Amino acid sequence: MHRARLVKLILWLFTGLAVAVAAGRFLYGLGATTNLSDATPWGLWIGFDVLSGVALAAGGFIVTAIVYIFRFDEFRAVVRPAVLTAFLGYLAVVAGLVFDLGLPWNMWHLIIYWNPRSPLFEVGWCVMLYLTVLALEFLPVPAEEFSALARIRRALLRIRLPLVIIGIGLSTLHQSSLGSLFLLMPYHLDPLWYSPLLPVHFFVSAVGLGLMMVMFESHTTAWLYHRRPETPLLARFGAGARWVLLGYLALRLADLAWRNQLHHLWAAQWQTVMFWFEVTLMVIAPVLLLSIPVVRSSRAGQWITAGLAVAGVVVNRINVGGFMHTGRGYYLPSWTELAISCGVVSMAGLVFMFVVERFRVWERRPADPAAASEELPEADNAPRLWLGSPRAAAEAYSLAFVLAAALGFALLAPQPAESRGIPPTPARHARGNEELRIDGNLDGFGVTFRHSSHQDVAGGKDSCVTCHHMNLPRDRNTVCSECHRDMYLPSDAFRHDWHASASGAGLSCADCHPKGALRSRETARHCNDCHKDLIPEGSPIPVKSYRAIGYVQAMHQLCIGCHANLGEELTRCGACHHGLEDFIDLPEVSARRLERSGRRVVLPPY
Amino acid sequence: MPFAILTDTTKCIGCRQCVIACKKENGLAPDFPRRWDLEDGLSARNWTSIIDRPGGKYVRKQCRHCLEPACVSACPVGALEKTGLGAVIYDGRKCMGCRYCMMSCPFGIPRYDWDQTVPYIRKCIFCYSRISAGRQPACTEACPTQATIFGERANLLAIAHQRLREAPDRYLGKVWGETEVGGTAVLYISDIDLAFLTRGQELSSQPLPERTKPAMNAVPFAFLGVVSAMAAVNWIIERRMRLEREPEPPEENEGA
Repeated sequence: MHRARLVKLILWLFTGLAVAVAAGRFLYGLGATTNLSDATPWGLWIGFDVLSGVALAAGGFIVTAIVYIFRFDEFRAVVRPAVLTAFLGYLAVVAGLVFDLGLPWNMWHLIIYWNPRSPLFEVGWCVMLYLTVLALEFLPVPAEEFSALARIRRALLRIRLPLVIIGIGLSTLHQSSLGSLFLLMPYHLDPLWYSPLLPVHFFVSAVGLGLMMVMFESHTTAWLYHRRPETPLLARFGAGARWVLLGYLALRLADLAWRNQLHHLWAAQWQTVMFWFEVTLMVIAPVLLLSIPVVRSSRAGQWITAGLAVAGVVVNRINVGGFMHTGRGYYLPSWTELAISCGVVSMAGLVFMFVVERFRVWERRPADPAAASEELPEADNAPRLWLGSPRAAAEAYSLAFVLAAALGFALLAPQPAESRGIPPTPARHARGNEELRIDGNLDGFGVTFRHSSHQDVAGGKDSCVTCHHMNLPRDRNTVCSECHRDMYLPSDAFRHDWHASASGAGLSCADCHPKGALRSRETARHCNDCHKDLIPEGSPIPVKSYRAIGYVQAMHQLCIGCHANLGEELTRCGACHHGLEDFIDLPEVSARRLERSGRRVVLPPY
Repeated sequence: MPFAILTDTTKCIGCRQCVIACKKENGLAPDFPRRWDLEDGLSARNWTSIIDRPGGKYVRKQCRHCLEPACVSACPVGALEKTGLGAVIYDGRKCMGCRYCMMSCPFGIPRYDWDQTVPYIRKCIFCYSRISAGRQPACTEACPTQATIFGERANLLAIAHQRLREAPDRYLGKVWGETEVGGTAVLYISDIDLAFLTRGQELSSQPLPERTKPAMNAVPFAFLGVVSAMAAVNWIIERRMRLEREPEPPEENEGA
């Protein structure tokens, strides 16, 4: 029983870490706590938590089909754990989605806003319904323990067959529809994976994997609770799974041949390596191992084989889910993403252990954890102190949870909300009255900057923090445009109160706002109706609003862009930025200018 | 009368007035380069951008407003909608943030509020309130050289082909957006190859929603087929088992 307690301790550690990270994810947002980006909007959480989670929970519908539909009654022993695993697997999928969805509190919108053309809509509905079916299929097990629930239990057992049939139908649909999701991405998903048959690929691999997952789960829990696994039964699963997996490989290869993509199988590229890695883990190694009778009927052999196949499907789903989308860009999950994924699995594991220890999931329930402590050898003191009694175990779990959560918060804290942010300014240290040449707006252009005069205006020696925010990481200075707002901001020199007041212009409302019309900027008279000299005679620039354009834009777009005929002179930065040519050509400054090209306009809202 | 935008890259001088107009019209906040940005200049706060191409060429990037948009067919809650006016618009109140639209867009247009705790999908919405009020989008209105113009799609296609006919030396003989993925509302004529907008890939004329259609149409039949097959198999097997042990009384089934 110590194994179970140690494993629980580890699971509580992961759970604590995940709880802290989850708090960070909802406080700081997805950008700060994941490596997801506009290039790779889907990552580990979709590939592992959702796609793999659903595939690995396929054991539930496979085993119920084998037992209740095909009536192989000898497999009854694995039904309850398989249904429990499936139920918890789907709960974990939903939990994973809560972190991945940007607006998880809108998840229920699936119920009221329908788009039946969307594969994701169908998957969502199937998962919701199947989760209900699984709950109803499993409910008779805990209900055994409560006499008050006897009637409900009998009613549920009576409708078990229809439930099982509906469950199989729903599983068939959404296991395959998860593949249909990617049919929309022919220009992104690598040709080794993209196929019009993706739904079939997903379904067949889920069937094979369902069997392997039952095997894996059975051996893992047998090891945990010192239970005798159902090895001979599972060997028959293995024999069956072999053909499903082989069929899957044949399907993949035939599909590649039919689409004339076979040459990708030996191309020197990263995707080919991943393809063979995935196929070896998922099909080739398990099929070879399962073909050896000794391996197939041995405990270790089954466990390892099932583990390989499970890992293979996880790799496959992560590949399809985001890794193998060529041209989307580079993505590796951040530690926070891994922590959440581990935490969700750990929580499911803890619930699984709770249920099997309290209800009759196996034919024989594991011995009471408390009773086991008496059997421990005397010499084994240290673990006994830690986890010997249920109370000590509970204390250790709480400690693990709290420590891991604290660690999570500590690791999260120094992360700024924006990960790349503003690069540091290459300004030199201010020495006395020295004139600096800086790229103060970080847009790749330069100005001469008098440090001392700025210091004087800002309030003397104590005013450093006005620009140098000591509390910001890497001493990010305030950009010039923060104070010189009219550089980028369209400025508005119009003072309404002065125009309206008797001590000012003394105008009445109707002087500017025509009667009957809405009193707004748009309907008011233009400035140059009164201020005739506001715009020079014959200027081609129309007065559209009361705002003057920021002078950086005025210079860098209107003049250069339209009046190129003023001569080559104006197109060189040095024409205005005297003596700054070499600064502007500095590699780091010109690199920034290049990086900014296409996004040169930085226009705060008015 | 579906509307469209025609962008003639040979007329674009790269002044970015369209970008400014877009930011003003949609009240978009200032933008700094972020970790999650792509190179093309679009972001949650830049719904259109000017891409500098070698040789002093400028290409404006924005949502293409496909005639049969993949994003609209992808959205599970119908937050994206293709309107009769041609705009693909977004209703953030419905959105649940699955980002399937971002994954499915062949042009990689939709962007996400990665820095927000309440994030939404962001993309060009064809200035929907303006065009439904009979005005033109802010970007085409701002363009000083008429490089990007607004009109009905049929008219703009005719204009595009007329320009190609009248000055064949000035353009590559192709209207981008005429047929790709079933046609897009945003059309381009250009003197440089615009394949970089789709990472060098040629898009076929098959609309993307057509690709999920067979799978989605099969759904009810697959469900009924599987369910009835399972029921039938179970009925046959149960009957055989009953016949085999006919003399004995049927056993009570054990729990789940």
